Amino acid sequence: MDAPLYLRPRVEPPLAALLSDRKFLHSLVDALGSPLNVLLPEAVAENVARFRAVYRRHRLTGRVYFAHKANRSSALLRRLAAEDPAVVGVDVASVAELRHALGCGFTGDRIMATGPKDSAFLWLAARVGATVNLDSPGELERLSGLVRAHGLGQVAVLVRLSGFDHASGHGAAGTRLLSRRSRFGTPLRDTEALLAALERHTETVEFRGAAYHLDTTGVEEKARALEQCVLFMDACRARGLSPRALDIGGGFGVAYVGEAEEWERWTTALTEAVLGVRPPLTWRGHGYGLRNEGGTVRGAAALYPAYRPTAGPGYLDELLTQPAPVLGRPPSTLLLEHLHDLYIEPGRSLVDQCGLTLARVLDVRPVDTESGHHLVHLAMNAGDMSLEEHGVLVDPVLLPRGEAAAGDGQPVGVHLTGNLCLEGDLITRRTVFLPRLPRAGDVLAFVNTAGYAMDFHAHHAQRQPVARTVAVDRRGASWNWCPDEDYWPITPVGGTAG
Amino acid sequence: MRYDSITEAIGNTPLVRIDPAVHGLRHIDLYAKLEMLNPFGSVKDRPAWHMARPHLEAATDGDGTVVELSSGNTAKALALLAGIHGVRFKSVTNRMRVPEIKELLLLIGAEIEELPGRSECLDPSDTDDPLTHFHRALSDPGSTYLHTDQYFNPRNIDAHAEGTGPEIVKDLDGRAPDWFIACVGTAGSSTGVARVLREHDPRVRVLGLVAHKSDFIPGIRTIDEVHQVGLFDPATYDTIESVTSDEAVDGMITLIRRCGLLSGPTGGAAYQGAVRQLRYADDELDGTGERRTAVFIVCDRAESYLSYVRQRRPELLGRTARGRSATAVTDSEARAEARVIGVEEARRWSAAGDPRPLVVDLRSPHAYAALHIEGSVNIVDEMFEDLLRGGLPFSKRTPVLLACPVGERSMRHAAALSRMGHPDVRSLAGGIVAWRDAGAPLVRE
Repeated sequence: MDAPLYLRPRVEPPLAALLSDRKFLHSLVDALGSPLNVLLPEAVAENVARFRAVYRRHRLTGRVYFAHKANRSSALLRRLAAEDPAVVGVDVASVAELRHALGCGFTGDRIMATGPKDSAFLWLAARVGATVNLDSPGELERLSGLVRAHGLGQVAVLVRLSGFDHASGHGAAGTRLLSRRSRFGTPLRDTEALLAALERHTETVEFRGAAYHLDTTGVEEKARALEQCVLFMDACRARGLSPRALDIGGGFGVAYVGEAEEWERWTTALTEAVLGVRPPLTWRGHGYGLRNEGGTVRGAAALYPAYRPTAGPGYLDELLTQPAPVLGRPPSTLLLEHLHDLYIEPGRSLVDQCGLTLARVLDVRPVDTESGHHLVHLAMNAGDMSLEEHGVLVDPVLLPRGEAAAGDGQPVGVHLTGNLCLEGDLITRRTVFLPRLPRAGDVLAFVNTAGYAMDFHAHHAQRQPVARTVAVDRRGASWNWCPDEDYWPITPVGGTAG
Repeated sequence: MRYDSITEAIGNTPLVRIDPAVHGLRHIDLYAKLEMLNPFGSVKDRPAWHMARPHLEAATDGDGTVVELSSGNTAKALALLAGIHGVRFKSVTNRMRVPEIKELLLLIGAEIEELPGRSECLDPSDTDDPLTHFHRALSDPGSTYLHTDQYFNPRNIDAHAEGTGPEIVKDLDGRAPDWFIACVGTAGSSTGVARVLREHDPRVRVLGLVAHKSDFIPGIRTIDEVHQVGLFDPATYDTIESVTSDEAVDGMITLIRRCGLLSGPTGGAAYQGAVRQLRYADDELDGTGERRTAVFIVCDRAESYLSYVRQRRPELLGRTARGRSATAVTDSEARAEARVIGVEEARRWSAAGDPRPLVVDLRSPHAYAALHIEGSVNIVDEMFEDLLRGGLPFSKRTPVLLACPVGERSMRHAAALSRMGHPDVRSLAGGIVAWRDAGAPLVRE
């Protein structure tokens, strides 16, 4: 067999400490079933502190809004609600998320309502004094109509902008930086109607500033968008409006894989496998978007860059330091000089290292007689742990049930199959290498699943159970747990208020 | 030499021996093929002209756009050739990573289209890479694009098989060298030259150099990227080795400082990679009394890569110590030496001082235009620093209030001005932000 191609996860304390307590994790799965989501509410507070440190370094003011859609957990939301109200808020994208945020202790002024909105969502957001991140001039009209019709107070609004690649800044002549088209926001060149509407509706809405969210890892595209928003807000001031906040959305990224070398070795091997010069790395030779055309690789790998040297707060820092294309000053300077608050909406990166998903091994058998690879059947399906759905490739950590002796067994390639009666139900199409062959009853821990991988795609197909979620906390040498819905940031986890 | 067109000056570049005292190889003569001496400055002049010529000669109505995926020398050569023939040139690229080259392309009149970055919130069912859209645009009916397609066009290889390769053989008195070393970009030069050399002597060994995967060397692809090149055939190379940008800069510096060859990093990588590999062969030749020859390509010149070097080896561009400036004042010195006043005092002083202070806003003109303290003048901080280098820019009789966004830079500048002998310069504590937060008035242009 080839040398094992690992993609071992980046694990930082306290997640590392939790993973080393095999007994505790097994006892949780025994009691609560498989799959099981485990969250560390304290870790989310530490991530907030890391983002705040970047704000401080750049002397910036403004709020960090957690993008709720990344995880449905109450524990995470309640832990965030306990943070300083001036600096931590929540970004909600549905009326249910808004209700949940309110129930978790966020007051309306700390809530940002984003995404597509129906009337109920708009009404409740306006009623509780949330900031409404407006998608279009039409939405502004609807909101304004609701405020008038129901006698609601003036609502704080941001306007989401898009279409920055049509912006013709001076100094940019001859160059066009393309961006993916977005279905959200008002294109920058169509903002005249929007501005006119903002001026018309000053009684019902208070214009707070501009917003954007770009689906890209490209820091240059974001620096351009940020600068265009600053220029847009200048234009707003010239018309007598007084915006003072810029919301730059999220997309700061997470580093899932620990070692650059493993990531590079694996992606090189994928190219070679697609070319047919080495055995496939995947179930049925799946190429993750790469294809072989006459010996040349075509297409782009539809993979999240799972190893990232800078992600999360580091990425924000890089963005703020990047020179902007028109004015030449870095975004942090632009924000400071123009007296704007910076709002960010991190999801994935704010819950980095905040949780893991556990699954019990049900059955292990060889794939065939030659390859030495095995099928490992898990008590979960691809919806329960959806890293693959987001193009994230990273190994699970094997937690043996018994006291496996060190050096017990050899590294082995396995295919992780799910509990649905469906050919396509693979936890990942990648051949995963584990340090030894698992046995029935062992548990696999999928690390760093709190961002979008826990409940975003979970479903009840075939009446399979969806994962329960628990919050855990370390007390001395031992871990304590409670159901996610029973967590409150005032009491020790699993205990009672003193 | 007299020519009717600059295109006639493409090719016939010198082959220069590298002094053995520089490379230290005892039994191998190492030659540099100076492709940087082509008229547009690089090895790409040959394939650019060879690929574009049929298109350009056909496009007599001046109504087309030559288009290529290139962020460097091919784009430069094609842009110049397009200019000569009165057609436009568009370069489509992932990222222009060397700012000087981008500016040079704009100067030549190229249009640059930069493709979007990777999706952060990935949809695995969408495997359309941006290049798919590029190819779709090319094949639109009615498209007037002339796509030279350097990664797949066999004329890229032919340019070297007809020019570069035979020139090397001719300059080595009709013999092929024992080794040929080339960096792999489009694989055009290595494939074309290797073909000719092997026809002369099948024993020629060809070393292909690629960049380390997470590294960036202009004009060289990484080991994964070469597989996306249609002209790349692994059988062309006896060995494929990787080089780092560090080695590229090392090699570049050796060629520049010791050989009088103003090579860019690609040539530097080829030199460094060549010497590294040849050293083993050189050791094996000890005591055999045999001599061998090796040839590598110097792809282009150094001038366009100063920022590339600055990023990686700032010490090589060691800046001379600059004169007096606010940055020479440390934070603690600034706190100790600068006079700082709060918003209320600043308001009173600027309204009723005798004489009233000159208020200097150190922010950018855009921010100033959007909102500023009434009566203030705008001198952006970098310019202010330059002014200080020339001497005190205000009369000592004029009191000065400095304001920046949060009161940090203004404090440093205030300390610097005090050191220069200004008797009454003050810094606005908390800056314009504090001024705004205190509800003090700001006006706009």
